[in-house]
Amino acid sequence: MTAGAQLAADEVSSQGEVEELEGHFESLEQQAQAARLGMWVFLATEVLLFGAAFALFISYQVHYPGAFRQSIEHNAKVLGTVNTGVLLTSSTLVAGAVHALRGGNRRWSSWLLAGTIGLAFVFLGIKATEYAKHFAEGIYPGGAGHFFVEHHERGTAEFWTLYYLMTGLHAVHVTIGIGVLGVLLVKIVRGRIGKLSAHKLEVGAIYWHLVDVIWIFLWPLFYLA
Amino acid sequence: MISVAFPRTVVRTGAALFALWALSFALSYVPLGPAALPVAIGIAAVKAALVVAFFMELLHGTLSMKLTLLAAGALLAFLIGLMVADIATREPPPLVPFGTHAGRPTADLPTR
Amino acid sequence: MTTMPLEPSSAMPGSRAASPTYLGVDTTIRSWLLTTDHKRIGVLYLVSMLFALALGGFFAMAVRLEHLSPNTTVMSAMAYNRFFTLHGVIMVWLFLIPSIPSSFGNFLLPIMVGAKDVAFPRLNLLSWYLYMAGSAVVLVSMFVGGIDTGWTFYTPYSTYSPTAIPLALFGVFIIGFSTILTGLNFIVTTHTMRAKGLGWLRMPLFVWSIYATSIIQVLATPVLGMVLIFVVLDNGFSWGFFDASRGGDPVLYQHLFWFYSHPAVYIMVLPGMGVVSEVVTSFSRKNPFSYKAIAYSSIGIAFVGFLTWGHHMFVSGMSRFDAGAFGVLSMLVAVFSAIKVFNWTWTLKKGAIALKTPLLYIFAFLFLFVFGGMTGVAVAAMSLDVHWHDTYFVVAHFHFIMVGGTLTAFVAGLHYWFPKITGKMYSERWGVLSAALVFTGFFATFFPQFLLGNAGMPRRYYTYPPEFQALHLVSTVGSWVLALGMMITLVYLLHAIWWGPPAGPSPWGSRSFEWRTSSPPPQHNFTRTPSFELDPYDYSRPMPEEGE
Repeated sequence: MTAGAQLAADEVSSQGEVEELEGHFESLEQQAQAARLGMWVFLATEVLLFGAAFALFISYQVHYPGAFRQSIEHNAKVLGTVNTGVLLTSSTLVAGAVHALRGGNRRWSSWLLAGTIGLAFVFLGIKATEYAKHFAEGIYPGGAGHFFVEHHERGTAEFWTLYYLMTGLHAVHVTIGIGVLGVLLVKIVRGRIGKLSAHKLEVGAIYWHLVDVIWIFLWPLFYLA
Repeated sequence: MISVAFPRTVVRTGAALFALWALSFALSYVPLGPAALPVAIGIAAVKAALVVAFFMELLHGTLSMKLTLLAAGALLAFLIGLMVADIATREPPPLVPFGTHAGRPTADLPTR
Repeated sequence: MTTMPLEPSSAMPGSRAASPTYLGVDTTIRSWLLTTDHKRIGVLYLVSMLFALALGGFFAMAVRLEHLSPNTTVMSAMAYNRFFTLHGVIMVWLFLIPSIPSSFGNFLLPIMVGAKDVAFPRLNLLSWYLYMAGSAVVLVSMFVGGIDTGWTFYTPYSTYSPTAIPLALFGVFIIGFSTILTGLNFIVTTHTMRAKGLGWLRMPLFVWSIYATSIIQVLATPVLGMVLIFVVLDNGFSWGFFDASRGGDPVLYQHLFWFYSHPAVYIMVLPGMGVVSEVVTSFSRKNPFSYKAIAYSSIGIAFVGFLTWGHHMFVSGMSRFDAGAFGVLSMLVAVFSAIKVFNWTWTLKKGAIALKTPLLYIFAFLFLFVFGGMTGVAVAAMSLDVHWHDTYFVVAHFHFIMVGGTLTAFVAGLHYWFPKITGKMYSERWGVLSAALVFTGFFATFFPQFLLGNAGMPRRYYTYPPEFQALHLVSTVGSWVLALGMMITLVYLLHAIWWGPPAGPSPWGSRSFEWRTSSPPPQHNFTRTPSFELDPYDYSRPMPEEGE
């Protein structure tokens, strides 16, 4: 593309932000649509990834309802509930950040995004506390630990293995989310992302909402029912 | 500026999510018996639907995005359904292996 | 879509400066290893997977060699277990799954929808690196003990096997990411980057097959990923999660494994069907008998294929209710394949048939795929499967589909698109000879295995009763003929790359969009963008001029 065509194809916002059109796309609109659909397709893969683990959980619960009920009662319900509230708040904040950016307000957007990231760290902190508590009780994945000497009912080991694996994998996704949102925050603060490229934040926020949705289902299965 | 960041949909969705969160927590102290799990999952499903529809804005998304999520959800439901159906409908193994007769003639054993 | 020329030097008709092809634009190794050009990435995949095919083939030949005699022939029982396992793992994940989509799909899909590249070119390059990394990990695992569980890694043995399970499965896990990225890219490209005027129902049918394959890749592979995580941790830390003596349920592993692995076989065969659609129409110079039937049946296979996995588990201890459900659903999925076969046959009827190498391979496909498909319906009947499960009957069934179907279509595609990718033409005589050897060798290898299995020969068994030796002998000799045919193919194709005559933009006279640009294509696919409002199968009009 000639230099003249390049500038015409890019868009410049009033704040000096330049939204660059990548060479293989025909328009900025196409580029944004591709990014959004790409994120939704990725979300579909995550639904099946965690879904497979949910399938295992529900299957073993049907096998061992008593052991699962006992294990749930042993779990740290208050901590889990607080964590759910933390994630719901973070989702609300990041939704606000997207709307703010679409409205052209980079300052509000960056503060709300920072708040989201802060809450993500709180979530991980509470999770670490829970894990430490369980380790102290002798609960390790795979039925290892002295807890399983006293609680040897069949199904107990399966519950706690699934607990560590599913919440652990979820925590990995929270960490990745911190990275993704962190990069977006830096770019917004520096003015590299703004109103014209709000779809980039939108796409990152969709990933964060997925992390929230996964926990929305983890919470009742492991802590409530 | 707060109204730019928090339009009505975001505020209402957030409020609904917290209300359902509190409801879930409260119900966990009510002895619902075998209905406890379906109720908890049901409330979770409503919360998830709210996040998907209003925070992830799938309602305003293209048909492709909606079909993508629908396909994933439908296949997952089928996976879970048939796995649980397997466990729920397995017959217990026979106490006496087929073909042996523990002292009785084989012909007396019930056939399948 | 803009019709502004991309390379100013070639905008003028009769211009002497030709725009560089995607091969010639930069020939350094660095330009290849850091490319984001979908065509180069397709070539990188093609070369790597041919090595994988050779390695998987080596293990196959060794297994067949072992079976020349009923007892020990050339290797120990432990080695035998590892060899058939590695044959399966390498063929499935290092060759068959990426085969047509990652090579021809990458090369052609953007061109066929009129785009300059896929939606996410850097993710595309990443997918190749992930494929290479995962393959490397699997290869390393071969040298530190290999694996001996069969390619299906059934629990609880995979938990306790002292072999390199964690390493090998981790390699497969990494390759899974490659698959997902490829599928994601193709879905987004097809949805959002079609040229102006190109509706869904006028895309080449190959695009439909790659699109349907991508849906499966994206939705099935994550489940494999999750279950592999469980097995790796189970083996590494002795969890016993699927061990019945410790409270586990081994059948749950099988549910999750086959939920992926059954749709995986459609990942393997659907792209082959796309090749068939392209070659059949080109070489009979006719539009498909029913475009919509072929397009929609691809989507049908993609979704209904997800509903059938339990037919691999009829004797596992699964409930009778599930077995009944899966039996019925498995019958259903065959309908879509039948629709395609009838369509292709009717397309060929009264067409202007050109009996060239690609079409010869397609004839082989049609015959062998029907064989494989019908025996598939047979084993989907639980009452029959109880006898055939874990025998050579099943082995023959899936090799008829995987080799007689997918590999045959892959080789057909290799010949059909060879001129487009390299700009050269191969020797037709050697092509015909190789096709004859490959077909004969394949049939001699695998048809006896139906008879062996029906007579009771179990699969994955190191020894067998002497009365089976004759059939095993035929099968092994057949494998030598098959290998010879494949090696000859490799030789004359390599020869043609350097010394073959130049092929023009459309040596077959095909109307499909990839033939409306030069062979090889320029870096950005088209020098002058053609109109995508023409039909890719319209043989009633003369061949459009370049850029028309």
